[in-house]
This record gives sequence, structure tokens and C-alpha cells, in this order.
Amino acid sequence: MRLLQFLVIFLTGMLILMSVKYLAGLSDYLIPPPNEIVVLITRKSGDFLFPAINTTLVAVAGHFLAILVAAAVAFLARTGSRFANMVRTAAYNLQAYPVVAIAPIVFIFLGDGLASRLLIASLICYFPLLLSFLGIFSDPVTDVEHFFYQTGRLDSLTELAIRTFENLDKIITVVAGSATLAMVGTIVAEFLAATNGIGYVIRKSLYQNNLAVILASLFFIGLCSSMYLMAVETAGKIVKSRLLR
Amino acid sequence: MEIICQDLSFSYPEGDHALFTGLNFSISGGGFFSFFGLSGSGKSTLARLIGGLLQPDSGQIKKDGVVNGLLSYNTERLPGWMTVEEHLKKVVCPGRELLLDELITRFGLRDFIEHKFTRLSMGQKNRANLVRYLVQDFDLLIADEVLANVDEPSRNSILAFIKRRFPSKTFIYISHNANEVALFSKLIFVLPQAGPNGISSLVVISGLDAFGPEETDHSIVGDKILEILRASSQGHW
Repeated sequence: MRLLQFLVIFLTGMLILMSVKYLAGLSDYLIPPPNEIVVLITRKSGDFLFPAINTTLVAVAGHFLAILVAAAVAFLARTGSRFANMVRTAAYNLQAYPVVAIAPIVFIFLGDGLASRLLIASLICYFPLLLSFLGIFSDPVTDVEHFFYQTGRLDSLTELAIRTFENLDKIITVVAGSATLAMVGTIVAEFLAATNGIGYVIRKSLYQNNLAVILASLFFIGLCSSMYLMAVETAGKIVKSRLLR
Repeated sequence: MEIICQDLSFSYPEGDHALFTGLNFSISGGGFFSFFGLSGSGKSTLARLIGGLLQPDSGQIKKDGVVNGLLSYNTERLPGWMTVEEHLKKVVCPGRELLLDELITRFGLRDFIEHKFTRLSMGQKNRANLVRYLVQDFDLLIADEVLANVDEPSRNSILAFIKRRFPSKTFIYISHNANEVALFSKLIFVLPQAGPNGISSLVVISGLDAFGPEETDHSIVGDKILEILRASSQGHW
């Protein structure tokens, strides 16, 4: 379904672009003809598919890292303690900074390799995850927790298990939503300074004014994003059905 | 065991008047006691004050001889990721496994014990919830409408069983059902309708302290119900 949605959107975009090209009589240099794009996507798919897979793998790793860190920080900050309030305030303040503005600092310290791409991918999806997890973990589920509280059994792990289970739908939605953000983060990092991935391919083609390569890259980015989103959503459904069965 | 409420006053921060003002009453010894009142009269608030979940504005609640006091209410839920059986076995106090088994049978949980909580009917949920409290180490159990969704014959049978099985424990049972309150309670603490200054005294009525409807005269029960309803409607009719 996600793949179909992507194909419909991509083809609609292409249709609009080609309509503009032929109605306005724009040159092939400005907007390449459709056959050129089709040739790139079909015959030279390897030039785009492998960088796109590379980008997706970094995005997946960054996404997992962000989920783990956001969950851990939200777990520690779920109480009303000073530390918790400090983390909450820091999270709200830090998310106001665009990651693109922080990215140059990351590249200065970590170089243009994997570490920078991973960190930027994580950063871009970390704050939405953290804010959602903070909200979920700090909101008591009184009707379930009451018994454990009354009998002195409400330890941190029980509390976490209850709040996670009771908010499973929200968690699945926010994790799936942040998956696309991780992809965006990785591409942004590659576009800015990295030497690998589909974002790097786009940057090179931008210098050559090669729109056909950019459009072919967009096709493979969409393809990989859709596949990853599908995988995350399917994993969420499996987890949910197993827990509720 | 003795619960003494002295000069108890309480109002909700968002409320425009006090719910309780200078309220005094006491509950002594084990047995089955009830709080009865119309909807919104303050039964659950009083239960939560005794249970320590709310703090009074002034006055005090002494709980002499209460080591483990528990409060249960009817919308409680068991964790949804495990079956009722898994949960009950996990939370049963050591040494009470046989009691748990007996309660599972007596409360009619056997047929759905392997189901998850979300799959149960409202009445089944109420019974499963009550069972887990009864297998704890407690000397006071405040039960706030814990059998609200259970059918009447089952409710009578459960209450009779609890009274027989736990004679030395203190139960404060909160219900809207004047019939079961009249039948099973030793004493019924009726909350009248609150005036502008809140409730300052409860009407204490002696209950029939029976073990079921079959052992009591219907006319006596009827008179008792009438007495309870009249007391609860003071200031209302």
C-alpha cells in the first residue's frame, strides 16, 4: 500500500513537471525528457539503488539509536524531579534549533564519514520521539497502576511496562512517523557534507545541473523510504497482535 | 482494629463548597460495613480519604490496628499483556495459592482464566479484580463498587462467601444497592445529601449482617431498605 501511494505521488509529480515542460516549451537541458529519466531508473538503477540502500541502512541505524536514547531519557525524566524538569526544558529548547544549523558543528568534529550521518539522522528524529515518550511515560495509567501501588509492587519497570502497553498505538505511530524523519536526516547530512549515500549523489548532480539524476535519485529515495515505513508499520502490527492475542 | 474519623473536613480545590465539614464517625472491629448514599454524595471521596489517597483539609483519620489497608474500585484493569491466570499467579501473596484456587472457583473465573483481561465482560472483570485483592495480606479492604457490573445472584453469593471466608477482616463496602447493603452489612454509614456547608454527620443504621436473602424475612429487609433510602435522601426530598 505504501509503495502504491509513493508510486502514485511520484508519477503525479512527474506528470505535472512534464506538463510544465511541454506547455511552456522548456528545453531538455532544464527539464530532461521522460525517456531519459526512465533510462536512468531502469538501466542505471545500480548507480542509485546502492547509494539509496546505503542511506536507508544509516537511517535505520540512526532511527534505532534515537528510539533507544529517547526512550531511556524519557524513562529517567518521567518523574517530577529536578532532573526530570531539567531534561524536559532542555528537550523543548534544543528542538527549537534546526538540525541543519547544528550539522556543520557535527561535520567539523566528526568529519564527513558514517558517524556524522548517523548522528544527524538520530538528531533529526530524536526530539519528536523524546517529547512523545516523555508524554507517554509521565502520564499515569491509574486504573492499571492502582493495584500495584496499593500492594507496594509498583516498581519502575512495572510502571514502564504498563504505560508502554497502554500507549502502544501512540508509540507505533510516533516510531513509524519518525522513520521518515530519520531518512530525511541522513539525506540532509549526505547533501551537506558526506561522501556517501543518495544525498551525496544529489549534491554532485546539483553541481552538474543534472535534473534527470536528481529525479531518479528521488525515485529511489521514495522507494526505500516506503519500504522502511512498511517494515516499521508491519513490525508494529506484529508486536501489537502478539501482545493482544 | 478501629478507624476513627475526627473532625474531618474536605473540599475539592475546584469545588465551590466543602464536601465534608467536621465529620466524626468510627468503625470498630472486623466485619462487613457499608457506605451508602446517592450518586455524588461523597462515598468514594470518603473511601479515598480513609485509604490515604486523598488528604483531608483538616481533622484526622486514625487507623488503629490497620497494618495493611487496601482500596479497590470498579474501573480497575489488569495488565493487558498477560492472561488473568498469569497475573493472579504473579501477584498472589506467598502461601495463599490454595485460597486463590478456591476463589477462582467460587467467583466463577475458571472458564475464562486463560483469557486476557480485555476479552472479559464487565462483570468478569470486576470479579477478577476483586480476587487479586483478596489474595493479598490485608486487614482492611475498602471496596468501592467493586461488584457494580456483576449480576445479583453472583453478587450475593460472592458477598456471602467473603463474609464467611474472611470473618476477622474489615470490609468497607460501597454500593448503590440498598438491598445488598441492608442484607450483608453489620453497620451502614449513610451519607445524606450535602447541604451548603457539606456533610457534617453520617446516619448510622444497623444492618441485618446476614449471609444471603434466603435466611432473612423479606418484610424486615424491605423496612431496612426504606430506612436506608430515607436517610440517604435527607435534604433531597
